[in-house]
Amino acid sequence: MPLETRIALVVAVILAVLALGLFWKLRTGRSKRVTNGQQIDLAKLGAVKNGKPVLAFGERMTFLQFSTEFCSQCVQTARVYKELEQHSDGILHIEVDITNRLDVAKEFNILQTPTTLVLDAAGRVTSRIGGATKAQTIKDETGHFTI
Amino acid sequence: MSKQIEQIDPRGPRFGAAIINIFSIIIFFFALDKATEAIAVSLLSIVWVSFLWGTLLGNSKHPFGVFYKKVVRPKLAAPKELEDSRPPRFAQLVGLFVTSLGFVLLALNVPFGIAIAAGALFGASTLQAYFGYCLGCQMYLGLRRLGVIRG
Repeated sequence: MPLETRIALVVAVILAVLALGLFWKLRTGRSKRVTNGQQIDLAKLGAVKNGKPVLAFGERMTFLQFSTEFCSQCVQTARVYKELEQHSDGILHIEVDITNRLDVAKEFNILQTPTTLVLDAAGRVTSRIGGATKAQTIKDETGHFTI
Repeated sequence: MSKQIEQIDPRGPRFGAAIINIFSIIIFFFALDKATEAIAVSLLSIVWVSFLWGTLLGNSKHPFGVFYKKVVRPKLAAPKELEDSRPPRFAQLVGLFVTSLGFVLLALNVPFGIAIAAGALFGASTLQAYFGYCLGCQMYLGLRRLGVIRG
């Protein structure tokens, strides 16, 4: 194979991979609106917070985060939401570990963790965030609900 | 029942991926021409051993992991979080599989078999090293859902 072709192939592969990486970086952690979102059943989900079962949704909104044990971005994302929860009213963060709850992963079609569902006051899904949530996404989501 | 799971600095595997990244693009280049294919094969053998090591002993006992811990990490700030050592170790297994596939393709006389494997490695290691996207780790949940692997 001529040297020029080989060099061109190397450059093409590098550019293709960089494009893929940038595409992922842009998409991850952003929210997607869900229309006709499903109603979350807290009892069925078995959500636990600080050792107690979660009985009610956040007054304004709830961030329902699905995590797995083997996920460093989940820890990072949970920390961001905990901070948000402390500094704002009516926002609740629930984290559900689905490492051994493959039924839950299947029900919500979760392919990656963290995956976060944004719920309205009644517990209906309004949007979905795949990957580590971006700061801008939180701003957009919480801003949307204050109106 | 719950065994203590080793927690590691997530930047360690990314450092290792950056080394594999450089290796894989060089292998890719050499694998494109018959005259240099032998160099590609021997370099890929080194990478194969590296993945085997990582799969069997884990990232923290891997030479790249040790180098990271002893030389690189002391120069950096403490990590914000630690991560479970299982997914990156699983990613090593994925790497081992892809590298082995290259040798199988070579044995079957598939044209550019080594180049295909090296290209795939380059893609996965770029995503991990520079974008923080761990393909092997992502596959972990998916493969568990399919029942291919167990926790």
